Amino acid sequence: MSIIEFRKTSKHFGDLKVLDEVDLHIDVGEVVVLIGPSGSGKSTLLRCINGLEQISGGDLVMDGISVRAGKKQLRLIRQEAGMVFQQFNLFPQMTALENVAFGPRKVRGASVAGAREQALALLEKVGLSDKAGHYPAELSGGQQQRVAIARALAVRPKVMLFDEPTSALDPELKQEVLTVMRQLAQEGMTMVVVTHEMAFAKQVGTRLIFMEHGKISVDGHPREVIENPPSERLRDFLQHVE
Amino acid sequence: MQTDWSVVLNFLPQLIGGAKITVQITVIGLFGGLILGTMAGLMRAYGGRVLNAIAFTYVELIRGTPIVVQVMFLYFAMPVLTGLRVDPMSAAVLAIIVNAGAYIAEIVRGAFLSISRGLSEAGLALGLPQWKVLVYILGPLAFRRLIPPLGNQFIVSLKDTSLFIVIGVGELTRTGQEIMAANFRAVEIWTAVAVIYLILTGTMSVALRMIEKRMRIL
Ligand SMILES: Nc1ncnc2c1ncn2[C@@H]1O[C@H](COP(=O)(O)OP(=O)(O)O)[C@@H](O)[C@H]1O
Ligand SMILES: [Mg+2]
Repeated sequence: MSIIEFRKTSKHFGDLKVLDEVDLHIDVGEVVVLIGPSGSGKSTLLRCINGLEQISGGDLVMDGISVRAGKKQLRLIRQEAGMVFQQFNLFPQMTALENVAFGPRKVRGASVAGAREQALALLEKVGLSDKAGHYPAELSGGQQQRVAIARALAVRPKVMLFDEPTSALDPELKQEVLTVMRQLAQEGMTMVVVTHEMAFAKQVGTRLIFMEHGKISVDGHPREVIENPPSERLRDFLQHVE
Repeated sequence: MQTDWSVVLNFLPQLIGGAKITVQITVIGLFGGLILGTMAGLMRAYGGRVLNAIAFTYVELIRGTPIVVQVMFLYFAMPVLTGLRVDPMSAAVLAIIVNAGAYIAEIVRGAFLSISRGLSEAGLALGLPQWKVLVYILGPLAFRRLIPPLGNQFIVSLKDTSLFIVIGVGELTRTGQEIMAANFRAVEIWTAVAVIYLILTGTMSVALRMIEKRMRIL
């Protein structure tokens, strides 16, 4: 069953066409890895799903709700689609625990105690129980990103969107974040991940999409596509990222 | 030249009375200015085209004219235009509200816009409505950044009240002048007036420093 449906979705920034009539169905449980050259529209595609960018043409339906249905519906979509950003974007005035408890409190209306308990459980899940009382500025990049994942999970989304979650991290810190993501995938979370970590794509991805100029140019099984690139440009691209 | 500092003591009750009025105008004016300025600043930062244009016009009108002209306008011209008379005190308070509001609007706008877009997006992505993002995420961050420039504006506004001498409000400067006119003790009286202003602005500075220290700027 499709949980995300792009229906001839277009997105322009002024004259610049960033998504060009994209058709894409993503099913529950899929782990879609999105790759492509810089500026090909990967972030935009991701951000259209939760309405951080407004689509300009076609339709996009997430969990049965169109992103064009209105503000209230858009908020429902966002509760079902957690997002993890390249720059973490943790709330700096809140501790790790407060960051994670924030969504349930303010979005789901959870009780203080309930949100706290859940936040502690999520911090444990991402391996950061001991950092609950730390502020983001006191955490390493990898730790911050894991808190950010916990924060997104706290709202109990059906889908997780990752926009280059390890690109801002030093190599030795990437793994701890990828490990958490791998674990999420194993639990059956539906995920759309923009990343250039090809090992992750091969091991964890169930589907690989190569974007070029706002279009999906290759869509296939990660291992097959990576080992046997069906297009010259994908072959070139893979050589550059590896 | 002989100075006689005992006159200061004689007139101290009168000077303190003037200082009280200065403080009153400043406190009420800044309270109103904060509300007006916050609204105008948020309109500038997040309002649609119309709200933004209204706030922009207000800010530019006020920043582009001297406060003396503003209070003269409120006190002398407004009654002619609207038929509503205002007493000097109300005109003075209103002038501070309107004047400080414009500068505070720019301070508020700057503080909010200096916060990375990513934080706002992180809040929205959780499913929060825009107002909750403003109140719970951006507001507390902006507040910390507001304090230093706001403190500066508070001190400027306090000193600006001395200009209301032109409409005859009995604030500190006016009081000093009245005493002067009667006894010509320029050195003593103006020294005393200056010292009282320093005490008022100094107290404000110290209070703001303390708040600033308590809060980490993030
Ligand atoms: N808010 C924006 N305004 C104008 N142009 C934008 C905006 N966001 C992205 N773009 C442009 O859209 C194109 C695709 O951007 P993006 O989706 O971020 O690509 P990718 O994530 O694949 O690098 C780029 O040319 C980028 O400059
Ligand atoms: Mg991108």
